[in-house]
Amino acid sequence: MKKEEKLLRRLVIKTYHIEDVELVDQVSIENNRLRISMQSFDKLITKSQQIQKIEVEIIPPNDHNRWTNSIMDIIPISTKVLGKLGEGITHTLTGVYIMLTGIDEAGNQVAEFGSSEGILKEQLYLNRAGTPADEDYIIAVNVTLKEGQGTNRAAIIEAHRICDLFVQEIRDKLKKADGRSFTEKHEFYDKIRPNKKKVAIIKQVAGQGAMYDNQMLPLEPSGFTGGRSIIDLGNVPIILTPNEYRDGALRAMT
Amino acid sequence: MGIGPSTKETTLHHFRDPLLNVVANDDDIDLVGIIIVGTPQHNEEKDFVGKRTATWLEAMRVDGTIISVDGWGNSHVDYANTIEEIGSRGIPVVGMSFVGTQANFVVKNQYMDTIVDFNKTPAGIETEVVGENTPNYLDAKKALAFLKLKMREAD
Repeated sequence: MKKEEKLLRRLVIKTYHIEDVELVDQVSIENNRLRISMQSFDKLITKSQQIQKIEVEIIPPNDHNRWTNSIMDIIPISTKVLGKLGEGITHTLTGVYIMLTGIDEAGNQVAEFGSSEGILKEQLYLNRAGTPADEDYIIAVNVTLKEGQGTNRAAIIEAHRICDLFVQEIRDKLKKADGRSFTEKHEFYDKIRPNKKKVAIIKQVAGQGAMYDNQMLPLEPSGFTGGRSIIDLGNVPIILTPNEYRDGALRAMT
Repeated sequence: MGIGPSTKETTLHHFRDPLLNVVANDDDIDLVGIIIVGTPQHNEEKDFVGKRTATWLEAMRVDGTIISVDGWGNSHVDYANTIEEIGSRGIPVVGMSFVGTQANFVVKNQYMDTIVDFNKTPAGIETEVVGENTPNYLDAKKALAFLKLKMREAD
């Protein structure tokens, strides 16, 4: 019987650490500094049927004694540089994460089963796998939906889509980051370990409607565009490779 | 009933999921894949996706599985059903869920004897603090240890 491991696919994730974030009039990544811009939002929102406005706020580390609307998602900024999701090379930023929050014009929080609005330091548990660390920057993207749209699935999808277009501008710069000047480099393999116990992980996720949805296999890691909703797929089980999953194949829309 | 803020697994959580890292890095385990299954509205559909999940596992000839659930309440109906479909096929199964004091299972069966509760609050409740009641490395290690025991018993 064959004993040795068989390597199927390689994924390299290079991290680029950010120590400072600025809101200016153009997007750039240089010397551990991320500059972002809101200019593209104006055009995007004018065309939107559901969104009234979007605000972006840079929250420095330990500056969490401030109001937040209900938190819809925390999103890493990652991009494919070579290959498709689950193989090749991915660049990702560390030290900064996107926090998508939502409210409607009438002041209703965008939430489905309990909401998390309040003072940020009381509503966000830091240093978990799914939340920023003490020393991280947060880019808060607050979406104000038109009145009553918070329970409309199309409006929630639109909020994620527009937030993703904003992130894409950063991704397009991150793609061009020097391949040798990364902070950390991690290599992962999808592999077969013959004669070991075969185990599958099952993740049961939400799939019923607005704020109770998940998308799979977007074009960019942890992105929105190109993803398929578990609702539209009939909630049937879909198999991901370990590398697809760790390359951001699942976008939470809960 | 669904995903409360404190149990919500964010996109960042999925990107650096402790459960994946623990299982993938164990040299005694051949991780075959991650199955994503949803939670449809009607009971007929819940049965349908639960059965399809168990059929996948049977076809993959797995020795065992860990099933983690995002959310509680109504989601636990899907969860219990899928675990029953898996367990009744003789496949060792370990669960991970928020339970605490607030989210006791609305339905239960004999295959739900090893559930890792990833509640992190003393009161055992949905606190509406994002990230608070989500699974960490210790929870994932416990689940894998339970599964190894169950797989050994099944041998």
